[in-house]
Amino acid sequence: MKPINLKSKAPITVCLLLAMMTLTGCWDIRDINHRTLPVVLGISTDEDGKYKVFLKIVEPIEDNLEVKVVTGTGETISHAVDVISRNMETSVDLLHVKVIMIERKTAEEGMKDIIAGFMRSREVSPKVLIAICDQNMDEFFSILTESKELHGTNMFDYFEKNAGWNPEIALTRIWEVYRSIHSYTRDVAIPLLMTGETTTYKQVGSAVIKNGKMVEQISNDETLLFNAFNNESTHGQIEVLDHASVMIIGNSMDQHIELTDKQPFLQSRINLKVVVLETRGKTSSAMIKKELSHLLSGRFSSMLAKLQESEADILGLGQLYRTKIDRNELKNWRSIYYPNLKSDIQFQIDIQNEGYLKTT
Amino acid sequence: MHVMLMYVISHLGLIFFMYPGNVISSTEQGHWLPVLVGVVIHFIFITIYMKGLSYFPKKDIIRIYAGIGKGTAILFIAPVFLYFCMILLITLRAYSEIITIVFLSNTPLWAIMLLLISISTYIAAKGAETIFRTGLLLSLLFLPIIIFIFFTSFQNVDWRYVVPLDADFGFIIKRTYLESFFAFSGGFLFLGFVQPYFSYNRKYILWAAAFLIPFFLFSVYIPVLTFGQATSATTFLPYVVAVDAININWLMFDRVTMFFLLSLISFIMLYLALVSWKTIRILTHYLPSIKPVKLLLALSAAVYLSCFFIQDWKDVEKLFWWNTFLRFYILIAVPFSIFFFGRRIKRKGKNETN
Amino acid sequence: MDRFVIEIKAELGNNGDFHLQRDYLADAAVMLMGFNTLIDFIKTRTVLHKHAESILSQNQPSEDLWRAIGEVIEGDVRKAISSIYEGKLIIHFENTSRFIIMEPVPAMLDRSIDTPTNENVIKGALDSFTEGIDANIGIVRKLVNSEEIRIDSFSAGHSRKNKLSLLYIDGQADMDLVNSIRDNIKKNIQMEACDLQGLAKMLGFPSWNAISKFNTTELPHHAVQNLRKGKVVLFVDRLPFALILPSLFWDMFAIENDRNFPLPLMLAIRLIRIIGILITLITPGLYVALVSVNPEVLQLQLALSVAQSREGVPYPALVEIFFMLLILELILEASVRLPKSIGPTITMVGGIILGQAAVEAKLVSNLLIIILAATTIANSTIVGFQNSVSIRLFKYAIVVLAAIFGILGLVAGLVFVGAYLASLNTYGKSYLYLNLKGNESNGG
Repeated sequence: MKPINLKSKAPITVCLLLAMMTLTGCWDIRDINHRTLPVVLGISTDEDGKYKVFLKIVEPIEDNLEVKVVTGTGETISHAVDVISRNMETSVDLLHVKVIMIERKTAEEGMKDIIAGFMRSREVSPKVLIAICDQNMDEFFSILTESKELHGTNMFDYFEKNAGWNPEIALTRIWEVYRSIHSYTRDVAIPLLMTGETTTYKQVGSAVIKNGKMVEQISNDETLLFNAFNNESTHGQIEVLDHASVMIIGNSMDQHIELTDKQPFLQSRINLKVVVLETRGKTSSAMIKKELSHLLSGRFSSMLAKLQESEADILGLGQLYRTKIDRNELKNWRSIYYPNLKSDIQFQIDIQNEGYLKTT
Repeated sequence: MHVMLMYVISHLGLIFFMYPGNVISSTEQGHWLPVLVGVVIHFIFITIYMKGLSYFPKKDIIRIYAGIGKGTAILFIAPVFLYFCMILLITLRAYSEIITIVFLSNTPLWAIMLLLISISTYIAAKGAETIFRTGLLLSLLFLPIIIFIFFTSFQNVDWRYVVPLDADFGFIIKRTYLESFFAFSGGFLFLGFVQPYFSYNRKYILWAAAFLIPFFLFSVYIPVLTFGQATSATTFLPYVVAVDAININWLMFDRVTMFFLLSLISFIMLYLALVSWKTIRILTHYLPSIKPVKLLLALSAAVYLSCFFIQDWKDVEKLFWWNTFLRFYILIAVPFSIFFFGRRIKRKGKNETN
Repeated sequence: MDRFVIEIKAELGNNGDFHLQRDYLADAAVMLMGFNTLIDFIKTRTVLHKHAESILSQNQPSEDLWRAIGEVIEGDVRKAISSIYEGKLIIHFENTSRFIIMEPVPAMLDRSIDTPTNENVIKGALDSFTEGIDANIGIVRKLVNSEEIRIDSFSAGHSRKNKLSLLYIDGQADMDLVNSIRDNIKKNIQMEACDLQGLAKMLGFPSWNAISKFNTTELPHHAVQNLRKGKVVLFVDRLPFALILPSLFWDMFAIENDRNFPLPLMLAIRLIRIIGILITLITPGLYVALVSVNPEVLQLQLALSVAQSREGVPYPALVEIFFMLLILELILEASVRLPKSIGPTITMVGGIILGQAAVEAKLVSNLLIIILAATTIANSTIVGFQNSVSIRLFKYAIVVLAAIFGILGLVAGLVFVGAYLASLNTYGKSYLYLNLKGNESNGG
């Protein structure tokens, strides 16, 4: 095939077509300063069963970024957002939402549809973080608006690993929640937030989510264990004992499983590396180690008992048994096998260093 | 070298979209088996095909078939032609739909289809050499991006989801599995059309096919490993959703899905150009009086207009299913027949010299 | 005076610079005729006389002298006239119709060999080609210094005969290429070939190509290296550069002067040029796509600062970009036209006043100015001014597509540009031909 030489008429027609196209072609153009970019999306249900949506919006005005909160009500989340967009002078774009807050009441009723809706639409990215608000949503946002320290991406930074994150804060994204809804063996924990007295936010623990519904609440310390099992780093976490306080700088896990006759057995050993920060009275390293391991294993057993009772497997223990249990049987993990799980957990503590001072 | 790259990129463009969804929904566990079966079949047929083609140096398929007889021409060339037309239609419509879902919700479908088809037509009009050289240029530009994102998609993987490894053969009769062969047989026919222009070493093509195997495997496994079987069976484009879940903090851009998919779309444009060119080759063989460029424009216009008759995704799926029959026929018939004819001619040649 | 002289005088006598002089050479009365703007008469006469004396002192017949000086012709007036136009000296024997066409000492009409004006060289040879084709060929011969170089000369043109030369190294050059060029020149020898468009038409290249098929260079070193690589060099009289055929894509990134740097530096410099071309193509389109159509691709903080920078700008991003790109093109074109004394002032006006003031008046956003500056600077990293102009053209197509389709349009535009580049070829040799042989080290 030889390339054709353009005769003189063809470029003209092409140019005309292009000109026509540019006149009609701006379907998707909406300049970025004509869009509103909310950072936090809050969801609560009101008395009629309708959804009330809160959007924390960052607006660039003059030289700084101002924050404001707008609300709207609707039958579904998209409807509510649409109502807000209708009433605002710019169009609302959910593309940059970073955190989704759900009121506790709504979470206890069930979030399955909400989560599925977010996964289906392309606007909200599946890696958005999700958190549950332990207060009344109205109250939460109104306190926030009055607070003077509100920056643009404040709430998002709370969760950022290289900003304000702390190993006691669970990091869960929407796709993980969605996965847990459909998975046979895995559930998730979502952080519970409130407004704090002196700080902007306060985490009061984490909510255990099973099948899209909040069933249980675990404390901050237990969330640390949850993070450890999820292979999140526990670096920087401070544990307080009777005689000392130490900082964990590393963790690793060894697990051994056995399944006998529908009775799963788990033996795990968690190795922690710690550094001593403060001591109280006279202590020795052996004592510190014993106290810490005692504290942590006790905490773990109580947490596991609580979880087994509500049949929620947030530690992902079911994953370990995939080799032993047939896939059809795996469907019954939560109801049959998990409550019968016996575990033996041991903490191996390694005091890496003690700072500038010595202890015996 | 060009041929090898073209082979790789046209397959890559097809693998990451529909193939994982089809394979995941075809079986509950042990996904490696369907992938393996598909890959093995692919390899077998490619080897037969290339061996057959090597008996006819410098000739392309059309001439081979036409040289043997009119009956064989109708038996083989007509289905191939029909197959190409349907592929053009389906690929164009399906990918435009996917683009609308993933990127731009407001741009009407006809505009996206117009963009895709006009660029493909332009490339096809310039000839085979242009197609292959553009393939080289595009792979230099976009392959690094794809490979980078492919490796970062391992970020969220939980390897324990691999585990129920045992599998059964029940998937073979499932409709979605058969449809997944879209990713395999779409690409290799061009090897037969390329002979007069570029020569290639058979070994390189086999190496290229081997290079693709991990992509096939992981495009299915990454969604499974990230989400688990049950969850990924509910998603429409599992690999895309898995890529969407990647979180790269240090990069200036937020959603890497877009770059990944766009690189693949550029490969698809090239693929469409290749298929258009093949179709035109067939047509010009039988209608040598009309200029090829006009035929190409007519074909593109016809495909574009018939896309308007496809109303929604259900119709696309139906077309997909019908095309599957054709695809299997071609997958089996064409390589075998070429091989058979080649052997016969070689034997005839030997008999004559004896 | 005899008829010969009368005829010539009738034709050429009206010209103010036509010089007619009587002289005596070896006891023969002769008439010297020629244009004194083309011939240095004083020096030529000195040479003639010296020559005559040496011959006479050896007592050789004067016939030898005539033959030694130049071509002896009988009676052809037309040839005499055309030789005068070419700048030769006619020595006419009085009362006969014999004359000699002599190659005189020419008047100094050419520039001396100087530094290149349009190409800058760091750490390399600083001589450049000039307008005289003989000087250029001489420079090349001196550099090549090989017995395998071949030079074909042609006289092209209808009304004015322009000299054209084709150089190649036997054994290295692709003989198909050489033969195609030669055949095309011979076929079209009547066409005017005094500028590159005319030359392109003569060689049979389609006129609507956006990329120039000639790789022009003022540097002899570059031209000679290309000869050694197997390419063909064309010289056109009065054009002070060498035209290297075929031009390849890689020539946009690689010049021979790079080899004066150590190898890693050479690779890094070539890599920068490749990044430059990508930036200049993609950045304006990327801005339009990210700001107008697909803002979810940006990180949140970046999106917010972009939105802040666009606060108060009255029109959409597409119009903004076109407006500023147009102004930049105007500035670039104006700075070529201006004399060297006014140039810097206008640059200051354009850069500072238009740029800064436009931002202050909220006509454009300041992020855009940065993007445009980056684009323009990146555009200039490409080797060869004719190439950088071509690339400037492509980025507009990409901007339009990006405005309509977002990042999809950007990618589609890149595919389109790639396909266009892939479809160009010179006599069958593709523009994207990569020399994969071992004696080249490619940067990527």
